[in-house]
Amino acid sequence: MTGSPLKALCALAFLVLVYAAPVQAATPADFVKNMGDKAFASLSEAGLTQDQRTERFRSLLNEAFDLPRIARFTLGRYWRTATDEEKTEFISLFEKFVIQAYSNRFQDMSGKKLIVINAREVSASQALVLSEIEIPGKPPVKINWRVRSKDDQHKIVDVMVEGISMSVTQRDEFAAVIRQTGGQVNGLIKALRRKTGSN
Amino acid sequence: MKVVRVIPGRIARMIASVTCIGLLAAGCATPPPADDPAAVAAFNEANDPYEPFNRAMLEFNLALDKAILKPVAYVYKEGVPDPLQTNVTNFLANLRGPVVFANDLLQGEFERAGSTLLRFAMNSTIGILGINDFAGEAGIKEHTEDFGQTLATWDVDDGPYLVLPIFGPSNPRDGVGILADSLIDPFTWVTPFEFRLGRAIGTAVDRRARNYDRINDLEKNSLDFYAAIRSLYRQRRADEIRNGAPASATPVPGGLSVVPQKTDGQQSKATTPEK
Repeated sequence: MTGSPLKALCALAFLVLVYAAPVQAATPADFVKNMGDKAFASLSEAGLTQDQRTERFRSLLNEAFDLPRIARFTLGRYWRTATDEEKTEFISLFEKFVIQAYSNRFQDMSGKKLIVINAREVSASQALVLSEIEIPGKPPVKINWRVRSKDDQHKIVDVMVEGISMSVTQRDEFAAVIRQTGGQVNGLIKALRRKTGSN
Repeated sequence: MKVVRVIPGRIARMIASVTCIGLLAAGCATPPPADDPAAVAAFNEANDPYEPFNRAMLEFNLALDKAILKPVAYVYKEGVPDPLQTNVTNFLANLRGPVVFANDLLQGEFERAGSTLLRFAMNSTIGILGINDFAGEAGIKEHTEDFGQTLATWDVDDGPYLVLPIFGPSNPRDGVGILADSLIDPFTWVTPFEFRLGRAIGTAVDRRARNYDRINDLEKNSLDFYAAIRSLYRQRRADEIRNGAPASATPVPGGLSVVPQKTDGQQSKATTPEK
């Protein structure tokens, strides 16, 4: 209680030093575990309105996922033929589309638990983190995360639920839309605008 | 082994070409002009030359689903107590035991064949005709196999995408698989027609009910429901053929094309820790 101001300052400086110094680099598995815990805690909070949940989902999504990279992947071969304006608009529409499609899937998280099983390197910069979601009274759902690491920063670039890659599914679907609209990326952009209600 | 490898390939090709002739009348997709390489590549990647026919067949199946299966599955899902639903799922899964066992053997997976046999023996008896997954609780986990997967492990190509009436997403290889499985299945031969009909209806309702929310989500959130189903079907089958081993070689964001393609099921399984 009577600690001198100097002592308090020293303690503060120490704390700042400890926390500002690069924390021991988290492994991709730790990263997934932390993001999972955070997502469960944040999205399962009781009494959230739909808008609040969507907003939390958006911020988690951008923190954990490399969305521009995923967006580029889902455009596949058409990324090269898209104009710069199309690319920019596509990335922003893609984010809206993902939020619309996935944010309402986290309404009922009670009793569910994310268990990280292990991780393995698949390339110099990428790891595959194997996990399961435990659901009371049901068989666990196998979820694998592809995590890309650069400068000790981790970002998820793909999620595979029971072997089904979300990125690949989206790429296949987008390719079908583009093909039906005469091979133009603009056709997909129009469809995405309609779907996300942004004009 | 060599003979085995060659014959299914030939059969599959034969069946594929027969289906082709049948489908030609129904409508094939027009291939894109050869001077548009991107369009040609996209067309080939989709591996869906009968797309107009398939889309029509999906519409037909969806109409049937909306009229009959979906409402029945909804009532079942909401009205029947959860533990009873689990009993039904277990009972139907247990009936698949002999077929799974035969396919385990045909794939040379003797350890898995042993676990299937043990599961069938335990669940049919202590589990009371399979309504309780007693073996699963004892740590002998369920896995499925079918003849379509067996053909795949024999290196038979899947062939073009096909939407079958009532059966839904498929391809010539998996279509042959469905037929072969029903012939392999002892319950086809020893049970009366009423039982087989009930089993087929039960299987359809059970599966539809378990996937109820997922299908709703997909329908609501997809830009092209047909293309989404096609992609999901192929990925799910690929996962089943790999027996759930993670496919580290699939192309994904971040460019992994440098990783050598692992097509050998054994190899990828060997690197997967058993849980």
